[in-house]
Amino acid sequence: MQDITVSRADNGVATLTFDLQGEKVNKLTGEVLKKLESVIDQLAVDTRVKALVLKSAKPGIFIAGADISEIDSITDEKDGVVKAEFGQAIINKLERLPFPKLAVIDGACLGGGLELVLACDFRLASDSKKTLIGLPEVNLGIIPGFGGTQRLPRLVGLQVGLELILAGKTLKGAQAHRKGVVDKCVPQAFINDEAEKFVSAMLSTGGVDALKRKRKKRGAMDRFWPGTSLVCWVAKKQLIKKTQGHYPAPLAALKVIRKTYQGNITKGLKVEAKAFSELVPTTISKNLVQLFYTHESLKKYTGVSSDIAVPSQVRQASVVGAGLMGGGIAWALSNKGIAVRLKDIQWGAIAKGLESAAEVFYKGVKRRKLSRVEAGLKLGLISGATDFSGFQSSNIVIEAIPENMGLKKKIFQEMESNCPEATIIASNTSALSISEMASDLRHPDRFIGMHFFSPVHRMPLVEVIPGEKTSPETIAATVQLAKRMGKTPIVIQNCPGFLINRILLPYVSEAVYLLGDGATIQTIDSIAVKFGMPLGPLALADEVGLDVGIKVTQILEQGYGDRMKSPPLFKKVVEDKELLGKKTNEGFYRYMDKHKVPSEKMMRLIKSESPNNSSYKPTTDVIRDRLILIMVNEAARCLEEGIVEKAEYLDMAMIMGTGFPPFRGGLLRYADQQGISGIVERLQQLADITSNRFKPASILIEMARLNQTFYK
Amino acid sequence: MMDNMNKERIAIVDGIRTPMAKSGTDFASIEADDLGAIPVRELLARTNLNPNEIDEVIIGNVAQPAHAANVGRVISLKAGVPKHVHGITVHRNCASGMESISSGMNRIHLGESNIVLAGGVESMSNIPLLYNKSMTAWFYNMFKARTTSKKIKNLLRFRLKMLKPIIGLEVGLTDPVCGMMMGMTAENLAREFHITREEQDQFALLSHQKAAAAIESGRLAEEIVSVPVPPKYKKVMEADNGPRMNQTIEALAKLRPYFDRKNGTVTVGTSSQVTDGAASVLLMKESQAKAMGYTPLGYIKNYAYAGCEPSRMGLGPIYATAKLMEKEAFSMSDVGLVEINEAFAAQVIANVEAFDSDKFAQKYLNRSTKIGAIDPAILNVNGGALSLGHPLGMTGTRLIITILKEMHRRSISTGLASLCIGGGQGAAFLVEAQ
Repeated sequence: MQDITVSRADNGVATLTFDLQGEKVNKLTGEVLKKLESVIDQLAVDTRVKALVLKSAKPGIFIAGADISEIDSITDEKDGVVKAEFGQAIINKLERLPFPKLAVIDGACLGGGLELVLACDFRLASDSKKTLIGLPEVNLGIIPGFGGTQRLPRLVGLQVGLELILAGKTLKGAQAHRKGVVDKCVPQAFINDEAEKFVSAMLSTGGVDALKRKRKKRGAMDRFWPGTSLVCWVAKKQLIKKTQGHYPAPLAALKVIRKTYQGNITKGLKVEAKAFSELVPTTISKNLVQLFYTHESLKKYTGVSSDIAVPSQVRQASVVGAGLMGGGIAWALSNKGIAVRLKDIQWGAIAKGLESAAEVFYKGVKRRKLSRVEAGLKLGLISGATDFSGFQSSNIVIEAIPENMGLKKKIFQEMESNCPEATIIASNTSALSISEMASDLRHPDRFIGMHFFSPVHRMPLVEVIPGEKTSPETIAATVQLAKRMGKTPIVIQNCPGFLINRILLPYVSEAVYLLGDGATIQTIDSIAVKFGMPLGPLALADEVGLDVGIKVTQILEQGYGDRMKSPPLFKKVVEDKELLGKKTNEGFYRYMDKHKVPSEKMMRLIKSESPNNSSYKPTTDVIRDRLILIMVNEAARCLEEGIVEKAEYLDMAMIMGTGFPPFRGGLLRYADQQGISGIVERLQQLADITSNRFKPASILIEMARLNQTFYK
Repeated sequence: MMDNMNKERIAIVDGIRTPMAKSGTDFASIEADDLGAIPVRELLARTNLNPNEIDEVIIGNVAQPAHAANVGRVISLKAGVPKHVHGITVHRNCASGMESISSGMNRIHLGESNIVLAGGVESMSNIPLLYNKSMTAWFYNMFKARTTSKKIKNLLRFRLKMLKPIIGLEVGLTDPVCGMMMGMTAENLAREFHITREEQDQFALLSHQKAAAAIESGRLAEEIVSVPVPPKYKKVMEADNGPRMNQTIEALAKLRPYFDRKNGTVTVGTSSQVTDGAASVLLMKESQAKAMGYTPLGYIKNYAYAGCEPSRMGLGPIYATAKLMEKEAFSMSDVGLVEINEAFAAQVIANVEAFDSDKFAQKYLNRSTKIGAIDPAILNVNGGALSLGHPLGMTGTRLIITILKEMHRRSISTGLASLCIGGGQGAAFLVEAQ
């Protein structure tokens, strides 16, 4: 067997089959490209060949793209240009073969894979779920480098081309046909028959032209410069709005396409290769590639060592507490076909939970993500109860009631007496100690923390927190369930605030301290947003609710002492009861219909609380460092204490749990890039001028001394 | 007649129903298939039964919805019963919810099934209006017309009166053989048994009072699963909304006769209400229930259906009971609690009189003596269809659940649940609580 084979039938139709040996997927490695070149060279001189069909022998995969590790190994622009132009040249050769070429796509056809088939005359896609077609390069901080920015817009038009390339969007077979990326989408079962038919149509006299005429005509906007400029201008505006300018790759792709769309393709390819090579060595691209790797590794993650038996699948679940979180968890379960018993004290509360789950389903129907019937079926999987009926047949019960240790302990005991011994009991607590919650249980081995983030349907992270006595089987089952729910579970060791709240709350508290030091609400938030955070710390506090926030800060203060002291202002605000955030329409901001303004009442409160007359006025840099480095410092401590297994997982958890900007690569990645010794120095300075909160973690001091980094 | 001596009792492991909502009110937005799935799902949860163990789902339903043909199967799937479990819809008009139970019993006795989920559902809110014949023909011609001229010709044939709809509900409640509306058959009985308007009003008043007391004491809540009302879930339906808590005799007396406007006695107040609701029960052999560790709600000892004149369909219960007595030896003095579905006040009163009449037994039942008197104190003690409502396909199942729950409260061992059936039939079920 070989990576690429060519067979030639008597009728002159050659078939080129990709089957990368020793791999599950086909990739366009440098090696494969070289082999492809020699195959193409042979075909070019073979006069018996009348047509060429490109295929993959791998089920569910056509070509998944270029080899990411090869891209990652490119460290300078020169190397980037060479690699891009090498690939471009081979694909050009394929395009120039003197007979019609058809790609038969049954499976993933992404990045370089799509760039390759764009050089064919025709593309046929299957309707399989695994058939995904697109150019997702921008997600890795780069742009297509094998002609994608050239051939795709020329094929499907400027508007669609930009839409696909700038967002890195992938399409299913039918969508790809609608957008004009492929010429036909056919049932998977008949794809070979359809390919044969297509080839004979190609080979009939005038067949190629006739088939090409069938394609949708490009819009008028595409043909003349005012139209194209307008399209590009709109695209740019949308991009800036979406990315805040933090992500250079889509902007670069737009620039390349704008410059080259109507020109000569040879020149265009040069422009593309140059832009590609400029992006590949950037920190942002390296960060995004690293996150891609982490993501891939988390797909295989079980949370336990490999010798632990895979537990049986959850068929039915119960959720206690039908509030915002309970309703969200019920949604996430029923959405994956798991029957849910939703228990609360009153039917009114259950109805609220159903309402919030229904809202997400109805939204899905509106966006055509699922049909009305499917939504009804899924929603029907949730049934309410005010007693423990139905718990007997649940494989897992998840508690989502308010954070009250006494109340929770009582519920867990009730659960234990109403569930079979094999049922996992999980708590969606955001900060209470798992070991303590399990302390009165007869079987603490089946107890675990399963912390979802709000809103459940949008936040991908689940913190899985084993207590002292939790069994590895329980961990494995919980991780497996969270994955099935479409979430990314990461095992976190039991500590106050777990991982995310322990790191994120100091960010919010620090913002409150900064207010006391005279910084304004807007300045603080805008600096955080400029750094890339999705929300400034004060706007975030408003979203969560200040009363909820203060509870967590108090738990953290109890657990970690002075360095996590809950700011006194918080207490004052919560006592006031009117400035609790968005839910009372006023917190740090006052909320109007469509916009918000800093709350005057809050500002008065701040002034009266901290009559700050000292000369200390935090500058922009100081504000940024105080907000971000307080998190870096705590993140380092978490790693030091083994709260999370790896720096990679910690960084991914922060991104998925808080929306920490992916282009930064994560908190610890950021620390690496800033230089650990620089971080230590800066923390020491901040500690000197503000408080001991900034005393550098010992792991940082040690790493600085040994000149180490978090990432290898 | 088949010998029942060797047949094992069939256990009703548990039963549950939705609240009953007057049609056009809280459940108006829920179609029969979604409504029917609610008690099935709840029953699975409450019995902790692994749904893979169910052999068959049988659901009674009268106005089978067009969008969910074989609604029993649709309910089964929507309730989360696995795909391999087969499902069927049964139809015996007002006794459809009993037919599902007796069909299930038979399947179990035949050895075809071990565990059957039975029930009944009716969404009378969603019984459609139909196009009349002329309109249907017009549509047909329109679809058939190929040329523009033919289309225009047909277009011109349209008349406004063609829009007059056929009211599905009304047609459904009209006997297709004798041509009478169900209410007219009740008028027949009022005349045959000389039942006055006042007697009927009094009976209806009592039904409301009994139902109101049953709701207030929480007795009915024991058989009901609350339903948060989709699609908005702003309201939770926790109790039947038919009973009028402050019903007065004066208010009932004010109503005009509805079916025979000139000389009639039957009003909407003395007729059962048009209602939406669903109920379901879990059936298996007594021995199996015990082996699985269940304490069943009760047992079906035996049952019988009987036919009678369509124009006197209200007397179905006495015909069916007479037949049941042939199948199973018992007398009315053994029976501690009776449910006779209140299709119409006149119809229940007629049965009560006929049960106590030697003459009726001799003339119609081929018996020398009467079936046996029914003590009014044990009849429909928690109200009936006059106050609670009568979702046609559901009522049969509901009666079995209601009577068994009440038998436990009163520590009564034997009960009789009976229904009259549109089209001239009756059903009678002999149930046991222990």
